[in-house]
Amino acid sequence: MPSGFQVVVNELEGPVFATDTGQTLYKWPLDGLRNGYSGEAPGIPACYEDVLTVTAGLMSPYPAGIKLPELDKRKSCVDLWPPVYADEEAEAIGKWTIVERRDGSKQWAYDEQPLYTSIRDMQPGDVLGGTTRSSRGDSPAYRVPISPPPMLPPGFAIKPTSIGRMLTTDLNESVYSFAADTARSAACTEECLVNWKPVSAPGLAREQGEWTLLERSPGERQWVFRGKPLYTYVLDTDSWSQEGSDIPGWDNVFTQPAPELPASFTAQLTIAGNVLADKNGRTIYRYFCGEDSQDQFNCDHPDETQVYRLAMCGAGDADKCLSYWPYVIAGEEEQSPNRTWQIKNIDPLTGLYVSADDNDALRVWTYRDRPVYLFGGDKVIGDVNGGGTGEWRGKRNGLRAFWLRDDFMGGIL
Amino acid sequence: MERVSLFTVNFITLFFLGISVASGQTGKLQNGSIGFVMTDLFWSVYQTPSAEECPRGFNDGPREQFEQLFPAHELLSVEETQLKQEIETWHPTTEPDGFEFLEVEGRFSWGLNLDERVDDNDFNHPDGAAGIDNEVYRAVGCIIGFRGPDGVEFIFQNKAILDRRYNRMMIELSGVDDLENDDEVTVTWYRGMDRLLTDATGQKAMAGGTQRIDYRWGQSLIRESKGKIIDSVLITEPIADLVIPWMNLSVPSIHIFKDARLHLNLSEENANGILAGFADVDTWYYQLIRNDSTHHLSNGQISGISLYKALRRLADAYPDQETGANTAISTSLDIKMTQVFISHDTAGAIASSP
Repeated sequence: MPSGFQVVVNELEGPVFATDTGQTLYKWPLDGLRNGYSGEAPGIPACYEDVLTVTAGLMSPYPAGIKLPELDKRKSCVDLWPPVYADEEAEAIGKWTIVERRDGSKQWAYDEQPLYTSIRDMQPGDVLGGTTRSSRGDSPAYRVPISPPPMLPPGFAIKPTSIGRMLTTDLNESVYSFAADTARSAACTEECLVNWKPVSAPGLAREQGEWTLLERSPGERQWVFRGKPLYTYVLDTDSWSQEGSDIPGWDNVFTQPAPELPASFTAQLTIAGNVLADKNGRTIYRYFCGEDSQDQFNCDHPDETQVYRLAMCGAGDADKCLSYWPYVIAGEEEQSPNRTWQIKNIDPLTGLYVSADDNDALRVWTYRDRPVYLFGGDKVIGDVNGGGTGEWRGKRNGLRAFWLRDDFMGGIL
Repeated sequence: MERVSLFTVNFITLFFLGISVASGQTGKLQNGSIGFVMTDLFWSVYQTPSAEECPRGFNDGPREQFEQLFPAHELLSVEETQLKQEIETWHPTTEPDGFEFLEVEGRFSWGLNLDERVDDNDFNHPDGAAGIDNEVYRAVGCIIGFRGPDGVEFIFQNKAILDRRYNRMMIELSGVDDLENDDEVTVTWYRGMDRLLTDATGQKAMAGGTQRIDYRWGQSLIRESKGKIIDSVLITEPIADLVIPWMNLSVPSIHIFKDARLHLNLSEENANGILAGFADVDTWYYQLIRNDSTHHLSNGQISGISLYKALRRLADAYPDQETGANTAISTSLDIKMTQVFISHDTAGAIASSP
């Protein structure tokens, strides 16, 4: 790694690369959208000082050339995503290379993707500009934090989810641990092995760090992570399954759990899995927004234009938004448990963050610095009637439920 | 690469088949019970080869309407165009939108006489029966996306029934003495938890599979009604509110059918026919637009804005106590089910609290 960079561990994203002042580094990978591409091809910066004024028509059915909202306040790409410039003397090292911008200046790249920081990241270690969690099809061309390769033996992978960084095989099979096992002995034997398959280690495998080996029988070795032998569950029906954790004594394995939830929050059964809910059991939703502009700006943060959100939550009427999609109000005694879940003060009519001494401010829960919501159309505990509301099933200007367990949607966590 | 676990299904199937053989019960009807799992479900749309039921053609969709509304969109803003249309879609009203909506104008429809009356606006069944109530058909029958064989909804909604475990509804007939004629049987709806047993193509469900009942997330979907079998046709009494989970593009959603009833041709292998009742209008509409974005609707020339107004205008049951406006609309769905062994193992209810 070149000098001037470091690895910081974020409570949600895990290890990410950052500047020496703790600013997380992001890339903007080329992404195929419905009617074209956005993002950056390897080695070619596309984020500049130009202030775009019209839509790009990248997402059907709306055409290109429509005037973007609030042009008088609109920023350029580099206003929001400052490039990480390289000194004239800087030299490429490994995956860290240097690309040239159109004005001749030098910019750091990783894996050939030009690097940026985000103005959303206010404190060292923040990762609020983007996430490594999969956004799946029809989402905007998101900026993504760059991370060092995880310290995993071959055959394993990590799936970032809402409940933590889940350890899986490289075929996306969940791996599990058994409470009665130890690093030196396996309690799962004989009939237990009908449904639980030890994750075998090849003959050349060596112990390293948190990864050790258990010799179950001569020549048969099993991977052990943090003192627990690893298994897959034969009856899992989908990738990234949690079905095996229903069996007493068995748990999914995470390299890093998700940050602690606010104490008043609950988890509730719905007909599609388990969702995060407020203290009264009402389903919690997140708002997602990405513009149909070539620079694919986010519009999901209170500091960004509220035109899209107000249109979706209340037909442009802030009062209706408060009725249809109320904020999740924090109790007077409640405190923020971590950097991921914060209590912020918000002006309910403008949707902008304000100071605590603003008389009209609401004290609301936020996730990754964005407010979370309830849905007025949810009438009973377990209702999830608001999920998928908005453009592109809630992915581009809409709301999606905060899922904690996915047995039906194929990796939505 | 995601896992494919047909092996799991096959293993379970063989396991339970093994039990059946061991106990000497080799038929599909065992101890007076037989199960069927849903493999196809779609709105009954009566189509003639030349679309005589749509003499004025088919409705425009969002793309065509946008061009008519905003011919000079370059002069306008996102708020004046795209967001205006999305607001109309997500906050629909019954006010006219300026577009003529083309309803079905034919006399015939698939479906049932739900209200046991013969009214002027009822359809006739192609077999001659009068009084057919199917106003959903009147609304969607002249929209390309709802017509087979290549309408976008026809393809993807139906495909999701086969592919998605979330949609895995099934019925269990119990108290059955004879699959050809029986004065009284009990019909219980459950959701299954497992993938379907299919042929080698993966696209055709096979009889003889096994489904565990989803007692956890599917508990609220369990319904029971009485029925009778006449000449191998199962006819059920209405269920007050049948909830059918229906997710076609990864948004878990539902339909609610009031007074839902089945007319199914039964065999030991299949149960095919009609599911009919009164669909809750708002649930119907939001199930559609939550799963299918304006882009997807455009591919089927489905204007959500116009369709909502039609659904509300044609709604024919369950008037709102305050406004008097009908909240439900008569409908019929073509349904196909394949025999399945239903396991009542309550393991699916493990850890029933999250």
